[in-house]
Amino acid sequence: MQLVFDNLPFLLKGAGFTLLLTLVSMFFGLIIGLVVAIARLKGNLPIRWIARFYVSIIRGTPLLVQIVIIYYGLVDYGITLGSLTAAYIALSVNAGAYLSETFRGAILSVPKGQLEAAYSTGMTPWQAMRRIVLPQAMRIAIPPMGNTFIGMLKETSLVSVITVSELLRQAQLLIAQYYQYMPFYLGIGVMYWIMSTGLAFILERFERRLAKAY
Amino acid sequence: MITTTGLSKHFQDHEVLKSINIEVAAQDIVVVLGPSGSGKSTLLRCLNGLEDISGGSFEVNGIVVDATASRRLRQQATRNIRKQSGMVFQQFNLYPHKTALGNVIEGLITVKKLPKDQAVTIGRKLLDRVGLADREEYYPSRLSGGQQQRVAIARSLAMEPAVMLFDEPTSALDPELVGEVLSVMRELAQEGMTMLVVSHEMKFAREVATKIILMADGNIIEEAAPQRFFEDPKEERTRRFLRQINEI
Repeated sequence: MQLVFDNLPFLLKGAGFTLLLTLVSMFFGLIIGLVVAIARLKGNLPIRWIARFYVSIIRGTPLLVQIVIIYYGLVDYGITLGSLTAAYIALSVNAGAYLSETFRGAILSVPKGQLEAAYSTGMTPWQAMRRIVLPQAMRIAIPPMGNTFIGMLKETSLVSVITVSELLRQAQLLIAQYYQYMPFYLGIGVMYWIMSTGLAFILERFERRLAKAY
Repeated sequence: MITTTGLSKHFQDHEVLKSINIEVAAQDIVVVLGPSGSGKSTLLRCLNGLEDISGGSFEVNGIVVDATASRRLRQQATRNIRKQSGMVFQQFNLYPHKTALGNVIEGLITVKKLPKDQAVTIGRKLLDRVGLADREEYYPSRLSGGQQQRVAIARSLAMEPAVMLFDEPTSALDPELVGEVLSVMRELAQEGMTMLVVSHEMKFAREVATKIILMADGNIIEEAAPQRFFEDPKEERTRRFLRQINEI
């Protein structure tokens, strides 16, 4: 265990990257998810079809495969991405697909009467979506969104295969140096757990704040 | 203020409204009665563009919606109509994530683009008018049904409609809460608001209405001033309806 504490700064740097990857890909994932959800609900036929296809592809293939395609595969087409950029893209695109399903369900669960009330005061469909439907949908979406967030935090470990120096990668480097497995793997396990718990805590607070009206 | 000409509406092959002609003049209080499934709510929803019409046309405050016009034109016209007509729903449909005041000023801010402080001033005045000045910070979940419906009325009034449409405004309320909503509606009537009300409140219809319309099976059965409607109905269907009502 002493080894873990001695190398804590090195591991914490990895944990920092893990958090950064999670937050950035969640941020873009949220945007992608929202756009895709609205596209699937309100778009015309080709747009709906493209959105469905995107969700189907992403959910139907392993994240690891998506990561290596974006980092190694795209090189064949002259697109060379830095490992961190590739990681951001892969994780955002992946989270977006899952979140779009969450948002779609949440938007559909807002009662139809809400839209009618908004329309009857003269709102346009876009105004009603933004002011009335989405705020209510967000509240419904938070628990499943939390699942995706925490899942994402752990799945960032997959980008270690493209040499992003996140938590797992840092541990592997230390293992290669000291030939000791258990202390490092246990150590980062605990660090993942602490980060997940912290994230869950923040989401819970957020959920409670949105529930104030109910 | 409202005229419908041969207005019809069908869902697939089910005809809900069969060539309806009604006329609501300014400051009229028209109450539409009828058994459930008679099409009275659908009529109201058509007039506010919540249902697209299948045939005929209607006009609200000078804006015409014609079933033969393009869908785009119809949508444009209905949006303009919505700005001139307020709608009150059976289930209130208050925005649960906004306070009473928030509900009332939402349209002022989003649709009319008023600055917040101005909207709040108007909103407070309207909440006061429906007797809820002390509830402005309450969320709908903390209000009784009667209070929610009064907030919903204030929300509609905020848009300064030329005509108010009420879709069974007291049907979802506990009996002891009906009175407070009806008294707000009475006051509105006294102030000269033009109102089209779908309701089962016979006493309100008798005392406040300037005209009563009975609908059944998508048709208008009878149309008369309240006194004549209740005392001397011409149609057998009306007499049957009134007998059924009185048995309750």
